[in-house]
Amino acid sequence: MPTTPLLEFRDIARSFRRGEPVLSGVSFSLGREEVVALLGRNGSGKTTLIQIAMGMLFPHAGTVRVFGMSPTDEPVAVKRRIGYVAEQQILPSRATIPDLMAFHRYLFPTWDVALERSLLSRFGLSGNSSRMSHLSKGQARQVALICAVAHRPELLILDEPAGGLDPAARREFLETSVQLLNREGTAILFSSHHMSDVERLGGRVVLLDEGRVRIDDDLDALRESYCIAVIPRYAAHAITTIEQLPECLKVHQQYTDWHAVFRGTPQSIQALLHDTFGLNNVQCATVPLEELFIELVGGERTAEAL
Amino acid sequence: MHILINPGDDLPIYRQIMRQVMDAIAGGRLTAGERLASHRELSEQLVIAPLTVKKAYDELETLGYIESQRGRGTFVSAHLPKVSRAVRDSQLLDSARALLSQAYLAGLRYADVLKALAEANHDLTDEPARTRRKES
Repeated sequence: MPTTPLLEFRDIARSFRRGEPVLSGVSFSLGREEVVALLGRNGSGKTTLIQIAMGMLFPHAGTVRVFGMSPTDEPVAVKRRIGYVAEQQILPSRATIPDLMAFHRYLFPTWDVALERSLLSRFGLSGNSSRMSHLSKGQARQVALICAVAHRPELLILDEPAGGLDPAARREFLETSVQLLNREGTAILFSSHHMSDVERLGGRVVLLDEGRVRIDDDLDALRESYCIAVIPRYAAHAITTIEQLPECLKVHQQYTDWHAVFRGTPQSIQALLHDTFGLNNVQCATVPLEELFIELVGGERTAEAL
Repeated sequence: MHILINPGDDLPIYRQIMRQVMDAIAGGRLTAGERLASHRELSEQLVIAPLTVKKAYDELETLGYIESQRGRGTFVSAHLPKVSRAVRDSQLLDSARALLSQAYLAGLRYADVLKALAEANHDLTDEPARTRRKES
């Protein structure tokens, strides 16, 4: 099915200092009604990538296409169909909520006043005419979300939407996203450090590590077809060979043992380790997303560190 | 029926939904022909992606526990999938062996296992364990 993806990154590279690439060779795309969670440690390039999609930064190499267009060549056509909430959303501090709504209504021909009103009332902001500078962090994010979705975008990009929000406000944010998925079929690209939010929004996970795509797979596949094997220290001689197995994503030392992340079910990996290295009863298990994340991008732990 | 999900659980969310629907059918809390919440209802109720609900329902349908009827909704199957008597008996015996072995390794006795079974039956069917035992 050769339909144009909504968003496509191809071999994106970008650095801010010579010789220190923030992104190198990042490629993935997002189709209609798809949800992609962008994960990675702080500084792994998530925000840079999102800013490239929004046309706020030029990539140093590679191409980005949004609805098949370049976001820097056709910024207006792209931004009309996209909703965006930045990590550090800066709303004009002297503007009131009604000011901001009126401004967006003017900017976007597709602005839906009924959706604007229903979201204002869900967030308890109806009739609130405070200036932006007087809103709490949570309220400011809610206003930013309304500004991002009330023109019914085809693609919603959320950069750490939950950053700094309390659990109830985070849930309201998620509820709104889930309703958009249900009612509008909006595609969503979001970055987050909250694995439970990632599990709730589902879809695909793209994990950035040191500027590259480390994993691009379905969330459920990550939960069921990836596993951690604990390689006991007596098998340390096999580590370098284990590392070269095509199924092996990472090996790192965890105190006196070794942890290896594999693509494969625990049963298949156990069999593989047995058949290839004669290792018996290696403990293999699927793990929650948070553990997988830490195993893949976390640091080593040696006994000396304690 | 009420479904509770826990994102940090060992099972992915779609499997948690599958298991709870199967438990409810097994325990009689969902009966043949009963209508399940729609994809959209359940997705908004649980605050999870609609595709996750679809995946759980699709798998349950493949297993024969539920049926979706175009334009009408999703219902508990009128007839549960048939498994041959011999297969059923051997599966049950396997599970029973595994359960007992686990219990004995943990230092429990046969009576403890029976008590746990009664309690589990109570959870599954929502009926008090004691009255059930008297009846049988």
